[in-house]
Amino acid sequence: MSQHDRTHHATIATGKGDPQCFKGTAGPAKFKVGDRVRIKNLPDIFYTRCQVYTRGAVGVVAVVTHESPAPEDEAWGHVDQSEWFYIVRFKQKDLWPEYPTNFPNDTLQTEFSERWLESV
Amino acid sequence: MTEAAKAGAAKTEWAPVPLLEDIKEHGRVWEDLANQYGVTNPDPPWKTSLDGMCEALGTTSCSPAMAVEKRWLDGSIDRKDVGGAVPLPLLERRWEEDELSETLYQDVPFPERQLLALTHSLIKRGLVSEEDLAKRMKLIHERLTAE
Amino acid sequence: MSNDHDHDHDHGHGHKPPAPMVEEISDFEALEIAVRELAIEKGLFSAEDHRRFTEFAEHIGPTPAARMVAKAWLDPEYKKQCLTDAIKASFAVGVDWLNPTGFGTPSDYTDLRVLEDTPTMHHVVVCTLCSCYPRPILGFQPEWYRTPNYRRRLVRWPRQVLAEFGLTLPAEVEVRVEDSNQKCRFIVMPMRPAGTEGWTEDQLTEIVTRDCLIGVALPKPGMTTNIPLPVHKPAKPAHH
Repeated sequence: MSQHDRTHHATIATGKGDPQCFKGTAGPAKFKVGDRVRIKNLPDIFYTRCQVYTRGAVGVVAVVTHESPAPEDEAWGHVDQSEWFYIVRFKQKDLWPEYPTNFPNDTLQTEFSERWLESV
Repeated sequence: MTEAAKAGAAKTEWAPVPLLEDIKEHGRVWEDLANQYGVTNPDPPWKTSLDGMCEALGTTSCSPAMAVEKRWLDGSIDRKDVGGAVPLPLLERRWEEDELSETLYQDVPFPERQLLALTHSLIKRGLVSEEDLAKRMKLIHERLTAE
Repeated sequence: MSNDHDHDHDHGHGHKPPAPMVEEISDFEALEIAVRELAIEKGLFSAEDHRRFTEFAEHIGPTPAARMVAKAWLDPEYKKQCLTDAIKASFAVGVDWLNPTGFGTPSDYTDLRVLEDTPTMHHVVVCTLCSCYPRPILGFQPEWYRTPNYRRRLVRWPRQVLAEFGLTLPAEVEVRVEDSNQKCRFIVMPMRPAGTEGWTEDQLTEIVTRDCLIGVALPKPGMTTNIPLPVHKPAKPAHH
């Protein structure tokens, strides 16, 4: 249990909130709303919150949400390096080839840290 | 959970606990009681207390603590590295509840099923004993029905 | 039990006769109490912690999120605030995200986003990885929200899952699934339904049920409870 400090939120985030406590720690955001991005297919060595069904898919940045350490690091108590997070919007048919064609407008949004995105 | 962890999970042998088997066979579930007494509340009165207990025993939502737990479930770290900060980590309980819901308690409705599974998990860890529970249940029946 | 007995009158306190109760202690009820008492005696948690978690669990309706939506329907300025800074907007409905439970939990992240439905867009929220949920403003997740059935299927077959909840949307309405997987939490702001003209904030709050705020139902005048869960009856009932 040495690597994970369960109380770090309490000490860092008190009075500010999490992710607000990481505001200003990630530098400039690489992407902006409207950018087309592809989800990288990085190896899941330990822990991730990047869903398998999004890997390789192309979507559009819908919201630039906040700065925070990525869960891949934070799970281990590493909170020194923050990244920007983005809500990305996908057409359902770009995620699921068999998605019914009579609903071409349906979409799905989910969030990624910057390391998972590359420009298209 | 990964496929590998699921395959591992499927091998778990759940030994029946006689006390819980007895409750499963003879206990009256909420649907039954509610019908008899004309109560429309869909949940038994102890449901939120059970929720509170699960919360108090484990972590909450998607905390980093849970991330560590997931690594244990994936088989990439040992149980001992999950840490002793909580008596019954939330994901671990839920995983066992899923298992038990498909095996020993598959015929029991929710939330009775959840209660049996939670108790089973606690007994399995030695956090409460079957004997203590049986004695306490008797006392509680006496206490709650005292004239 | 009978409703027309002698006590069916006002005792001067505006009481109604008590609703029927289950008048027996089931083994399950006794078991729940026994487990809890033994756990407290062994120091697994304190009675006080348990009470507060339970109180939090009972915070189900109408939720502060329902009031937020009702207020937003009535006040365009407030609506703007909900859509741009929902954490701040939460204060107006009595929720301080920095201190939602009074005891703090490490997972109460504090970035709430309100998803606004329009005539051509319907939102629905899921967490495929676990069961992320805006608990400070919406209470505990319903059981179905954390089932693999909902989590796995909603992202892929959203219209099918919504139909199982009784919600069928025309093809021209875009269904937008929000898979909540990081620190943002989400509620849906449905459209104000017809037939609620002139309603007060309290009246409107009543129809914004939890399920509407997740996006598996739409508010309707007269519908103030959440739709019943699709409970699978046990194949072989284990009780007598």
